Amino acid sequence: MNAPTPALVAPRPERLRLVGQRRQVLTMMHQRLMFGMLVYGGVIALIVLRILYLAAFGDHAGAKRGLTSLVPERGDIVDRDGVPLARTIDAWTIGLHPKKVIGDKLTLARKLAQLMPEHDEAAYFAMLRSDKTFYYLRRRAAPGLVEAVNAIGEPGLALEREPDRLYPQTSLAAHVIGFTTIDGHGVAGVERAFDKELSDAASRGRPLQLSIDARVQQALEHELLFAMTKFSAIGGAGVVMNIHTGEVLAMTSLPQLNPNTAGEGSPEARFNRATLGVYELGSTFKPFTVAMAMDSGIIKSFGQMYSCPRELHVYGHTIHDTHPYGRMCSVAEIMKESSNIGTAQIADQLGATRQKAFLQKMGFLNRVNIELKERGRTLTPGANWGPLETMTVGFGHGIAVTPLHLATGYATLFNGGVYRPATLLKVDRAHAAGKGTRVFSEQTSYKMRSLLRLVVTQGTGKMADAPGYRVGGKTGTAEKLVGGRYTSAAVVTSFAGVFPMDEPRYVMVMMLDDPKATKETYGFHTAAWNIGPAFGTTVSRIAPMLGVRPDKNREPDMSMVLPFVHEEARH
Amino acid sequence: MSARSFRSVFMVASCAGAALGCYLVSLNVASERASLEDVENRIVLAQRDIRSLQTEIGTRGRLAQLERWNVKVLALSAPSADQFLEGGFQLARLARPQEKLNVEAPVVLASAPAPQPTSPSLVEGEPTVESGAGATSTAAQLMRQASLKLPEHDEVSPVPAPHRVAEPAKVPDMKQKAVRAAELKPAPLKGQKPAEAKPAATAKKAGDKKVEAASNPVTKPVRMAKVDPLAPLPVKANLKKTTKDSGTAR
Repeated sequence: MNAPTPALVAPRPERLRLVGQRRQVLTMMHQRLMFGMLVYGGVIALIVLRILYLAAFGDHAGAKRGLTSLVPERGDIVDRDGVPLARTIDAWTIGLHPKKVIGDKLTLARKLAQLMPEHDEAAYFAMLRSDKTFYYLRRRAAPGLVEAVNAIGEPGLALEREPDRLYPQTSLAAHVIGFTTIDGHGVAGVERAFDKELSDAASRGRPLQLSIDARVQQALEHELLFAMTKFSAIGGAGVVMNIHTGEVLAMTSLPQLNPNTAGEGSPEARFNRATLGVYELGSTFKPFTVAMAMDSGIIKSFGQMYSCPRELHVYGHTIHDTHPYGRMCSVAEIMKESSNIGTAQIADQLGATRQKAFLQKMGFLNRVNIELKERGRTLTPGANWGPLETMTVGFGHGIAVTPLHLATGYATLFNGGVYRPATLLKVDRAHAAGKGTRVFSEQTSYKMRSLLRLVVTQGTGKMADAPGYRVGGKTGTAEKLVGGRYTSAAVVTSFAGVFPMDEPRYVMVMMLDDPKATKETYGFHTAAWNIGPAFGTTVSRIAPMLGVRPDKNREPDMSMVLPFVHEEARH
Repeated sequence: MSARSFRSVFMVASCAGAALGCYLVSLNVASERASLEDVENRIVLAQRDIRSLQTEIGTRGRLAQLERWNVKVLALSAPSADQFLEGGFQLARLARPQEKLNVEAPVVLASAPAPQPTSPSLVEGEPTVESGAGATSTAAQLMRQASLKLPEHDEVSPVPAPHRVAEPAKVPDMKQKAVRAAELKPAPLKGQKPAEAKPAATAKKAGDKKVEAASNPVTKPVRMAKVDPLAPLPVKANLKKTTKDSGTAR
């Protein structure tokens, strides 16, 4: 109790100093506490704000990303009516992780060999014991197989889905569409030509629309395959084109190829005969020679006469005819019976320079103009283009072009004389038709109609007629070059035709490679007997689909040719 | 006073309430958005299913397969040029109703006038029967009358027979002939024939016997007599037979 009260005892200076220090310490502590609290509160506020933000704008746990759009891994390919020709689907893949296998490896190898017999037990066992981390056992596995593999219950077997290219129409237009590798890169056809567009993320959402018409394609393929089987030909090709726009409505090459299993197809089947194969197409060239001569003013009327002896000896060679006249004959008759001798003389008058210029303008001397990458180089006399070669080229020998060349040539000849490149894309607002260049005059184009109609009504193409559809066209039978020599034993027969002839709209070329004579053809293997009838049936099938109305009362103006055809007296 | 002291509590409470309300609203929005997303996902999944099903249907019903079915089973072929029509009128022509043969009236009436002018010539032969038939001119009887002429014309025989034998046999004979005529169908033609053919036949005869024919054109009574007598022989024997039997026997 002797402690002095502050009031009574005067504070000592050191004590006073102590009090001041305490106060200072206290304020400092307050400040620090306040600061700590602010920091703490700030952090909490940040967290709360973040939570609130996430609650308002954030995703929730159940959100599934990447499903909101339906963009395939690779773009679809559809025909002009939207029928899918190629699609990407999810396929099953069976893989193997040898390290993760826990069961008995020998039993597993036995089971795998049972399910997938492409390898034997030993091979599977070797895989299971190897140090590799992963094997593909099967890609594009069928659902049944996947189920069976899943039933084994081995964690080392991996079942996964991966995008796979499917061609729902199987072999339909296989050579146009092409196919892809297993990793989804185009290696042939449109798949190859438009690989970038089809795989680019920006453009693959839209299907690629082709000019192909699936129904026309099917009809053409079926009829051509029928003819090919009937006459045991080794191959065939066919093209249907719209002559005004250059759209290819159907293009086929036989033997058939299934693009779903393209690897299993033979090289022969993978070969596109319509654009990659070049052939001497024979007499189907004659209309071009006549048209060139008309355009150059050499032929003034179809009544112009040429001497048509049984054989023509020129430049050390002899030219033969299958139906020799042995008299004077008019241009109309030369065309009607497909006279090589007559055409050779017309070509001779025309001359090599003009012939080459015309062929150049029609695109016959270069690779065919189309989007595909598989395009064959044409074979021409080249530097040896002398008078004899001019004659042979005049009737379609000594020059080898693709069937698509021939189709574009006929389109040029009958659409009013304008060359337009062929296209595989549908011509509409998004894709305009190719730029045209004039080759023949409109007059020539018009006059040629009746000449080709004459071939079908009275000449070699009688069997190619489809009643009511006014088919006009030309047969072609060319001998094949076997071992450096032309042989009549093997031929390439073709028919190039246009319908309806009074107002041409479509051109079709059909070709058979090495057809054999049969009993029904009386031992002939010329175009008139094998490809001609096939052409007629195909036209009567596809013309209604293409909107061509049959009318037996309509014909092109035949008054230009009929007076110049010598009628045999009939007794 | 109490209100003032609790003011801060009210403030805190209202702030908390507002914050809770805002939070609830945002929670509600978030859940709505989530369910919308879920629906969108399901739509995409459904579209994917549709696509794969379409692909499968398209693959199973591919054109090559349809073609195969057509070749094997249906055997449909492209239409020929004649199967295309110009328009509605041509189509309507195809559906034109078929003409039905009306057996009753027109046939009978056409034959009716034919026998009447010739009947006067028969007066001598069998006046009673013929006139009776003409009087009761129902359609069925007229037909009989018309057909009656034909057999007369056919069955001319050179064998002369007595008149009296023919007359009693007349009535049943007529019935038989009527049945025959019914079987031989085209009544009007045959009905007209006798009318026209008889003069022609007479003309031929006239050619043979020039003078007599010219002077006496009516040779019919004689022939009529010849016709009927042929019938009596079987008629007498077959009188009891039914008419149908005799009709088929012929």
